[in-house]
Amino acid sequence: MTIIVAVPDSIEGARALSAAATEAQQLGTDLVVCNLGLRPLDTASVDTDVKLTVVDRKGKDDRDPVDAVLDEITHRGAIRLVIGVRRRTPVGKAILGSVSQRLLLRSPVPVLAVKVDE
Amino acid sequence: MPHSTSKASKSGVTLPPLRPGPHQRRMDVVAVVATFGGLLFGYDTGVLNGALEPMKQDLALNSVTEGLVVSSLLIGAAIGSLVVGRMSDSLGRKKTLTILATIFLVGTLGTVFAPTLGIMIPARLVLGFAVGGASVAVPVYLSELAPTERRGTLGGRNELAIVVGQMLAFVFNAVIAGLWGHHEGVWRYMLAVCALPAIALFLGMLRMPETPRWLISKGRHDEALAVLMQVRTKDRARAEMAEVEHLAEEEVEAQTGGITDLAIPWVRRIMLAAVIIAVAQQFTGINSVMYYGTELLQIAGFSDNAAPIANVSLGVMAVIGGSICLFVLIDRIPRRKIIITGLVGTTLCHGLIVLASALLPDGKFRASTILALVALLVLVIQITLNVPVWVCLSELFPLRMRGFGMGVSVLVLWLANALVAQSFPTLVSIGGITGTYGTFFVLGAIFSFLTWKTLPNTSGRSLEELEESFMQGDFR
Repeated sequence: MTIIVAVPDSIEGARALSAAATEAQQLGTDLVVCNLGLRPLDTASVDTDVKLTVVDRKGKDDRDPVDAVLDEITHRGAIRLVIGVRRRTPVGKAILGSVSQRLLLRSPVPVLAVKVDE
Repeated sequence: MPHSTSKASKSGVTLPPLRPGPHQRRMDVVAVVATFGGLLFGYDTGVLNGALEPMKQDLALNSVTEGLVVSSLLIGAAIGSLVVGRMSDSLGRKKTLTILATIFLVGTLGTVFAPTLGIMIPARLVLGFAVGGASVAVPVYLSELAPTERRGTLGGRNELAIVVGQMLAFVFNAVIAGLWGHHEGVWRYMLAVCALPAIALFLGMLRMPETPRWLISKGRHDEALAVLMQVRTKDRARAEMAEVEHLAEEEVEAQTGGITDLAIPWVRRIMLAAVIIAVAQQFTGINSVMYYGTELLQIAGFSDNAAPIANVSLGVMAVIGGSICLFVLIDRIPRRKIIITGLVGTTLCHGLIVLASALLPDGKFRASTILALVALLVLVIQITLNVPVWVCLSELFPLRMRGFGMGVSVLVLWLANALVAQSFPTLVSIGGITGTYGTFFVLGAIFSFLTWKTLPNTSGRSLEELEESFMQGDFR
């Protein structure tokens, strides 16, 4: 069994990763980390007894991070998705869209959304 | 130099040295034919400079429709630069270039025989599509066939082909104006000359090979090896297959990033720096000189007969500047330094042109002073801002961001070019040379400052080092 965590290159990414590690430990599952950023992900902060696989985005098919995560969920038969959320300005959302919102609405499995302290 | 030692490429594949032989000649022919794409690009963008004056009377153009005839090509080019990347991925590089040569020819015939503005504008759009397409497809074709050791200079050579194309257009226009200036519709003769390099490119491309990189990306490994065998020695061809496969893989990776990644501050910051230098390069007004030089010189005080000839000197300056940049300076001065120096230098030139135009009394001296200053402007831009901006753009983006980043930058560059080309005749009719170059002076000052604030230095640092410091918020 596997749970998937979506980790963007931001604070909510780090928050999601640590929450997902705890979740995986409690459920006794593997953890697949979808690195949504464009640089290599540092997973040193995660508890070592969780089996962890990092998946990077690659190529045109992964240009939209939402597609990259949804593909991974189906592909790995995951039972849960963990994401980090944060308050966004309407303007920012209008221009760049919200990855978290689309993941919440489109994920075929239950989503655990963790907030960043503001 | 590069011929004597073997070289370990980025993929870690050690390649046998380049050795002369029949394959070398084949490679040279490939480079010459593909460079016709750059030549055509230059010729088609430069040919209106000189053809515009007689056309204005024939087609009854005002300053807005005159701008439209020029800028419609650039809007077409913006579209072409977007579409052709995809086209050359799915159809192949060779087929794409052959199709572009045909579009060049169709567009040229459209402009030559256009009876009214209603036909001229769509024909220029079509021609622009080919121009923008060539700006994307030719460098890709050349770099995918050239050996690693020669790849760097080939891209620059394409830029040089573009300015040579513009200079040739100025020369042919001056000759045609001198010989048949009294003919009605002499501009049609000028535009018709563009058909010759288009035919040469078409016939040439029929005999050129597809690139190994594209063949490999389609899983056609045997054909890729066969092509490499034509343009390399046998041992080198086999060794290079591994490198090409690595590059094809990298190409896929470069397409990863997209618009959602702009949510990350460091990515947004790089994108901003790229867009600023792209716009800054066009707001120097380089292309208003390349497109409207003859008209500009007539306003400065040259006679209708002398202006096309004086205009040739601007084309020659562009070629000299481009050569100095490419063969002497490009790898000796840090990119940030050369670009900022260039922006400050061009802004000073704008200022001097304003002073000369405002203070000097009408006459031969004013005319030749302005010619000298505009020539200096062209020289400075070609030495410091043409090739260096392109090289800097390609180095600025981390690998996974490169496809999207370059795409946006090139689009912005064409649109800024179109904006300047569209407004130039209107600016001149309202403010004359003083007002027009006063505007360029102010824009130049603003963009020099913005560039100074945002542009990191990309030369002398590996791409990994750059990425590292960008992520830590250090953009110098």
